[in-house]
Amino acid sequence: MLRKGFLYILMGSVAVVMFLSTAQVMGQEDEDYPQEPIIFTKPVKAVIFDHKYHIEQGLDCDSCHDDPFEMAAGTAEQNDDFNMKSLYEGKYCGTCHDGESAFAANTRCTLCHIGVKGYNRLMGTPEKGHGEH
Amino acid sequence: MKEKRSTKPDYVTDEERREFLKLGLKITGVMAGGTVLSLMPLSDQEAGAVVKLEGYENTQYKPHYCMVIRQNDCVDCQKCMEACVKTNHVPEYGFRTTILEKTAEDDSGNTFPVFMPVLCNHCMNPPCVRVCPTKATTKDPKTGIVLMHIEKCIGCKTCMAACPYNARYYNEEKKAIDKCNFCWDTRLSKGEKETACVAACPAHVRVFGDLSDRNSEVWKLIHQPDKAVWVLRPETGARPCIFYMND
Repeated sequence: MLRKGFLYILMGSVAVVMFLSTAQVMGQEDEDYPQEPIIFTKPVKAVIFDHKYHIEQGLDCDSCHDDPFEMAAGTAEQNDDFNMKSLYEGKYCGTCHDGESAFAANTRCTLCHIGVKGYNRLMGTPEKGHGEH
Repeated sequence: MKEKRSTKPDYVTDEERREFLKLGLKITGVMAGGTVLSLMPLSDQEAGAVVKLEGYENTQYKPHYCMVIRQNDCVDCQKCMEACVKTNHVPEYGFRTTILEKTAEDDSGNTFPVFMPVLCNHCMNPPCVRVCPTKATTKDPKTGIVLMHIEKCIGCKTCMAACPYNARYYNEEKKAIDKCNFCWDTRLSKGEKETACVAACPAHVRVFGDLSDRNSEVWKLIHQPDKAVWVLRPETGARPCIFYMND
């Protein structure tokens, strides 16, 4: 009896551990992307990219990584061709933002381009004072 | 006194209406309490029906410098502002050009920012010039640029108060009012064809040119069929030469 009881306890423990670890992995997958938006500042200040919003659209990591975007944030900004022209040619964001999969890159500019004002708001930098005017 | 103008939000004088007709634009609406005037290019038929009068079209200004702002392409990168500051030595506390922001709503109810570059409107009927007690600010009879002659400026700031566009500031170093002069001293008079802000804009938002030349990009831009063009605060009667449109 004692052995049987021990076996039950062991099996129960294994089940609990498995459940917990699965839950943990699932939880990790849910949060395994930057929770804060990515802010691009080159070549212009500033463009916002929100992982959460794009995940909600049904995309997963593979949709954009490592092609068209490397995992490491800031990699695309190092490239000279990280600009609107490339987007229009279907590179970077233009992979999807072509007017079919998602709104075309030459429309709705300020949805992603938050400007210096948007950047300063996110960073908590006060706007340059123009009190004299 | 013409004070009633500002208290009647939808008021556009016949004179103003005629001036725009002369430019080949018809007034299609007055919005935002009269601070925004919506203009549409006249069809050829309509243009033919308009009695030709003296106005924007046959001014003494040659070239008649003006700017068209393709507003919805502005992303507030502020490269124009940086270029202006650098070119014209604008101090931290002032500006010759800046970008305003407002929030708009699309058809689906989503909000998005609208960025509006602003600068001196180089008005046809500039209130600043009218009020200056020392003739320190004038409208150049050749180019239409509203210029500052800082040696005559006594710093009374009357022009600042008169300007409908908040386009002037007091420069502590110059001990005089400073404002946009379309980079006249820093670029145009040296043979450059465009202002520093125009040259710096990566999105071709700002287009500079000669309103008296029908082959100029600015003239063509504001005379596209089915493209609305507007000016800021038309109710003041200043008749601005900065035109706004969406691309």
